[in-house]
Amino acid sequence: MRDEGQNAASVEKGVFGRLWNAASELVSRHSSSLLLCMVFCVVVGVGIFMMGDLHTATEQVQRMYAGSVQGLRRIGELQYEAQETRRATLYALTTNDSNLQVEYADQSRGADRLVTEGIAQYLVESHSPREVELGKRLQRDWAAYLRVRDEVLAEILEGSIKEAVDLDLTGGVPSFDRVRQDLEEVKRLYDQQASEQLTVVDTSSRKSVIRLMGVLCLTMLFASASVWAIQRSKMMSAMKLAKMQMDFVASVSHELRTPLAVICASAQNIADGVVEEKEQLAKYGSVIRHHSTQLTELVNQILLFASTHEGRNRYVVRALRVPEIVSAVMMNTRAVAEQAGFLVEEHLGADLPPVNGDFSAVCQCLQNLVVNAVKYGGNHRRITIRAFTGPREGDHAEEMRISVEDHGIGIDSSELQQIFEPFYRSPAVAAAQIHGTGLGLPLAKGIAEAMGGKITVVSKVGVGSRFTLHLPLAKALETETKEHRESHRYERKHSVGRG
Amino acid sequence: MIVAAAVLLLEVSSGSAAGGASAPPAVPDDTIAIIVNQSNTIDDLSLKDLRTVFLGERSHWPNGRRITLVMMDPGLSERRAVLRDVCRMSETEFSRHFLQGLFTGEVFVSPKTLSTSVGVRKFVFNVPGAIGYLRASDVDSTVKVIKVNGHRPEEADYPLRIEVRASK
Repeated sequence: MRDEGQNAASVEKGVFGRLWNAASELVSRHSSSLLLCMVFCVVVGVGIFMMGDLHTATEQVQRMYAGSVQGLRRIGELQYEAQETRRATLYALTTNDSNLQVEYADQSRGADRLVTEGIAQYLVESHSPREVELGKRLQRDWAAYLRVRDEVLAEILEGSIKEAVDLDLTGGVPSFDRVRQDLEEVKRLYDQQASEQLTVVDTSSRKSVIRLMGVLCLTMLFASASVWAIQRSKMMSAMKLAKMQMDFVASVSHELRTPLAVICASAQNIADGVVEEKEQLAKYGSVIRHHSTQLTELVNQILLFASTHEGRNRYVVRALRVPEIVSAVMMNTRAVAEQAGFLVEEHLGADLPPVNGDFSAVCQCLQNLVVNAVKYGGNHRRITIRAFTGPREGDHAEEMRISVEDHGIGIDSSELQQIFEPFYRSPAVAAAQIHGTGLGLPLAKGIAEAMGGKITVVSKVGVGSRFTLHLPLAKALETETKEHRESHRYERKHSVGRG
Repeated sequence: MIVAAAVLLLEVSSGSAAGGASAPPAVPDDTIAIIVNQSNTIDDLSLKDLRTVFLGERSHWPNGRRITLVMMDPGLSERRAVLRDVCRMSETEFSRHFLQGLFTGEVFVSPKTLSTSVGVRKFVFNVPGAIGYLRASDVDSTVKVIKVNGHRPEEADYPLRIEVRASK
């Protein structure tokens, strides 16, 4: 059916295609969660942004405090200590007691040391040329005052009070006034700097508020859009599900109506005495049994899907021989295939290793694939079942592959993902009046995954399809008893409808 | 090689010995140091010149600064030692000398009296022309100690000491 080139192309585009399909599937399945994640990320981002903004504002305020408020406090201390220097000197003038005079001189020197250190510290921390110039001038004027102060103290201690007073009036007062003016100027400079920094902080905080408002508005907008998208996505999902369920109900009703109509008509004929001959009666009985069997299979299929979907099935996974599986599948689907005029061929590799799985579940899975091949096999009427080993995707360990290949109508590539969704029916199939429930392939896929395997499909419209069941190999062969397998065969003898 | 190393070792040893010898000797606690302001250029005074200064018979230093004499309170052992060894007077004679000298104009400087050694030291530190005395152990770097008769207080021939017997 398919040439090798087509297979190669399929594999080549598989890497990116699979990734893209996986991403698309993830997004479509978890769109609400992803949106919520995005909203969460945006909120976290806004939080980080706000914290950064607050941190910047705090730093600015701290800088202002360190630069201006502390500076003002230091200047206040300098002014106080400078006054102390002068006060102690003047106190020394007021006494003739040499001991007290020495004590006042000592106090004056202690205070002037603090002032000198404070000025030096101010110079170290000065940055602007104006600050440096002012600091140097203050240092110079303070040194000049101290020179006069030392002379005044010496005169006082020598007992030359008049000379000390004269010296203080002519030299001490003017030089101390200069120091006071310098300190006032430094204070004014600090005031000015504090005012400028306050303006900067005010402007910055105003900008910050505007930024925050903008970011919050954007966040709210985004959150609203996300909520709308989530709601819409959920509504669309609900609508899609409802439509699929309606389609399913319609399809099932149709599937039920035909055999029921036949059964009713046959029963009516028998009841009305239209059928009298024994042969005819037997024929009518056969028709009723056939259609009753169809109904039972349909109901079984639906119940099986429901139990698989809800995870209620308990599989007994053990080592299985592939030829026995294929043989059971062939036997269980022979009637369907022969009735439709299909020839089913099997090509099994030699010495196939056993696989892990539940016998009846694996048979059911393959039967669904075979019945689908019959249903969509077109006019070519030939189905091929192959079994062979190959490397598993990912870890490249050996796995068993059992493929069912037909040469029918094929599947459009855009529908390859959807055919495994429950209740999905291709529009083309529905238009062609091919009946089905849309549960065959989802059921097969669920079984394959429950066995630790998967189902892959390669298809081309008008050429045909090949569905492959991938199963893990068994490490040790634990053969089932024949009776057990027979019982499975009996239970699953009736192959079932499809997607 | 061995000889050179031995010589070097010897030199190092002798150097360290010399260094040890250059360390200032301990000053006896009973020594009286004569102190002046750090800015004073005077380094050495004879006992005779010192007597002139302490009796107020000299008014200015060679650098032109007025001399300010600092004494400790009467009764203190340092003052007694200075009166005895420098002024060669009793307390009464010393007081009378200044009263008489100031009255006649023969004395130019009236002594300042301070009660503690710390006060004396701070006074001398603050007044460029001040001269005073302290126990050698009370001296620090804020004042300058001058030699007397060419001797520093730590030297054996230094003439100003508190009389031990008198202090007892």
